[in-house]
Amino acid sequence: MTIEVALFYVFALVAVLGALGLLLNFRNLVAGAICLVATMVSLGAIYVLLGAYFLAAVQIMVYAGAIVVVFLFVIMLLNIRTDVFTPSQQLLFKIFGILIAGFVLFQFLTAIAGGLPAFPTTPDGFGGYRDIAGALFARGDAREGTQVVGDFILPFEIASLLLLAAIVGSVVLAKRRLE
Amino acid sequence: MNGLEALDLSVLAPLLFVSGGSLLVLLGEVLLSHRATFLGKATSPSWIGTVLSFVSILFLALAFFSAIFPFGEGTTKVFHATSPMLVLDPLANFAIALLTLAGIFVCLMSVTYLAEMDIHHGEYYALLLLATAGMMVLVAATDLMTLFLGIELMSIPIYVMAGFDRKKLRSNESALKYLIVGGFASAILLYGMALLYGATGHTDFTEIRSALASGNPPFAAAGALALFGFALIVVGLAFKVSTVPFHQWTPDVYEGAPTPVAAYMSVCVKAAAFVALLRFLGVTLESFADRLHSLFWILALLTMTVGNVMALIQENVKRMLAYSSIAHAGYLLIALVIGTPEAYSAMLFYLVVYLFMNLGAFGVMAALASRGEEFDTLDQFAGLAKARPALALVMTLFMFALAGIPGTGGFIAKFTLFASAVNAGQVWLVIFAVLNSLVSVFYYLRLPVAMYMKTSARTPARVDLGSGESLVLIACAAAVLFLGFFPSGLDVFFLKSADVLAWTKFAITALVFGAA
Repeated sequence: MTIEVALFYVFALVAVLGALGLLLNFRNLVAGAICLVATMVSLGAIYVLLGAYFLAAVQIMVYAGAIVVVFLFVIMLLNIRTDVFTPSQQLLFKIFGILIAGFVLFQFLTAIAGGLPAFPTTPDGFGGYRDIAGALFARGDAREGTQVVGDFILPFEIASLLLLAAIVGSVVLAKRRLE
Repeated sequence: MNGLEALDLSVLAPLLFVSGGSLLVLLGEVLLSHRATFLGKATSPSWIGTVLSFVSILFLALAFFSAIFPFGEGTTKVFHATSPMLVLDPLANFAIALLTLAGIFVCLMSVTYLAEMDIHHGEYYALLLLATAGMMVLVAATDLMTLFLGIELMSIPIYVMAGFDRKKLRSNESALKYLIVGGFASAILLYGMALLYGATGHTDFTEIRSALASGNPPFAAAGALALFGFALIVVGLAFKVSTVPFHQWTPDVYEGAPTPVAAYMSVCVKAAAFVALLRFLGVTLESFADRLHSLFWILALLTMTVGNVMALIQENVKRMLAYSSIAHAGYLLIALVIGTPEAYSAMLFYLVVYLFMNLGAFGVMAALASRGEEFDTLDQFAGLAKARPALALVMTLFMFALAGIPGTGGFIAKFTLFASAVNAGQVWLVIFAVLNSLVSVFYYLRLPVAMYMKTSARTPARVDLGSGESLVLIACAAAVLFLGFFPSGLDVFFLKSADVLAWTKFAITALVFGAA
């Protein structure tokens, strides 16, 4: 078994377990959303194994990042339940949160203080956060971009009509008063 | 890089007309409702609604004509030379003409109904146009991607339209139920598509067909995977056309949805999904024709039997028509069991007749609804012949047509469909179908019996008939009679070329056929 196959099984297992966790988690919606993150991240990892780096990055940024964060916001705004976590747990979370935020801030500040790095000479590989976009597109993965406006332009445009229909529809149903 | 020069944008003409129309309607609603007067007229909500319905009818008519003219030429145009995505062949043009005509009728019957229900908002027409655009994509799709997007673009506006009467609990229930069941169906459909793609490596219908027919599958289990994918796709579409056992949502959704929306769902969603099934199976199905054959046989038998038996015990006319639409889906499935060009053209003819008779029946109910009250129980229909003789007469005609009584289009439709099945050797299925039609006569005749032979102290609250409604009812009644007596056209001036039977045969010719 090569390392790729082994990694595939690991991530596939995590994806399935995350999906099951989301399904079976009736009580705690937030934990369910975290399970969803696990599934989304492992799907992203599987995309990397398939060689679709651009798709993997989009998967992590859009699904695991943006969409799940919106989910969490909605859950927390609509369903404010203080009994999920005890006050001492909440205090623990706050301390953890402040520590992590402080660490990230420290990293940023040291990076800025040391001067912004020049772009790396080798665009190949994930050298770091600096050149992620360059790495993605230099590997020939620009084809996803051209396909969207080439072969798949029609599905792309139909999808935009679909989103329009969904927006109009949700406004019609949810608007407080129609005159 | 694939340049845009490979694209044939004229394929999109009907689609652009309706989607552009929907944007204009959305814009018009906003612009008109912010002014007290427009061109010297006071802008009441109901006036705005009427204007916007005319705008929608105009754009639907443009799409209708843009589909009719190429139909006569019999040309086949694809959107993209190497990955077609959409094809505008005679079948697609025929289906688009059918769907836009139904859309025009639904707009016409909605004007007075929505005003009576006090839900006359412009967004209704915008959603209707968007749903029609989705149906156009669906009937022209030659790729799993466009097929799926078409289904979603069709379904999402209809989920909302089903719940358009927001004050009514039933309407809310209808929308929610349809949304959940529809989402479930889409997930199953998508899973089937993923498996089929995994098995063949293609999303284009003809590529899938040649991959399956090539005899050297990419891996050992590809055949089983493809078969499973086919089955799941059929199940997903079966939810949309509501065949048994995927029909449970239909009566509740039709009962709760505003009457014109229920009419639109029963006619257009069904027609679009059946044409999509026809194209998908007609093109891709070669290796599996014999295996899926028995699946369709059982689905057809179950669907018509359960639909008809359940319709017998309904007291609500909308629920009864919902079960009747399930039964009609069962008859239409016979064509998919047989899979010959003759059966497919009989199915198209059936869809044409079904459009007129079912829209007519729902149209009568919409024309009787008043001041927020639906007119949909058998009790309400008692003694209607005295109070509203004309409406009772056309309703009786539509019921006769749905039952398939000779002299109406319903009879010719059933006859051509069953005859094609007998020609293909499916005698037992036809025997069951005819027995089912006999059962259906009983419940269809309950309505005329109630209208003509019972008396009621109550009279319907509405005494006037909107001009749009009367236009729809007259057109539907005339078409049902015309198709009943002259399905091959009539030798007087413009009706000479109105040979609907020949049109349906012509529409099928360009399809690629497998075993047939």
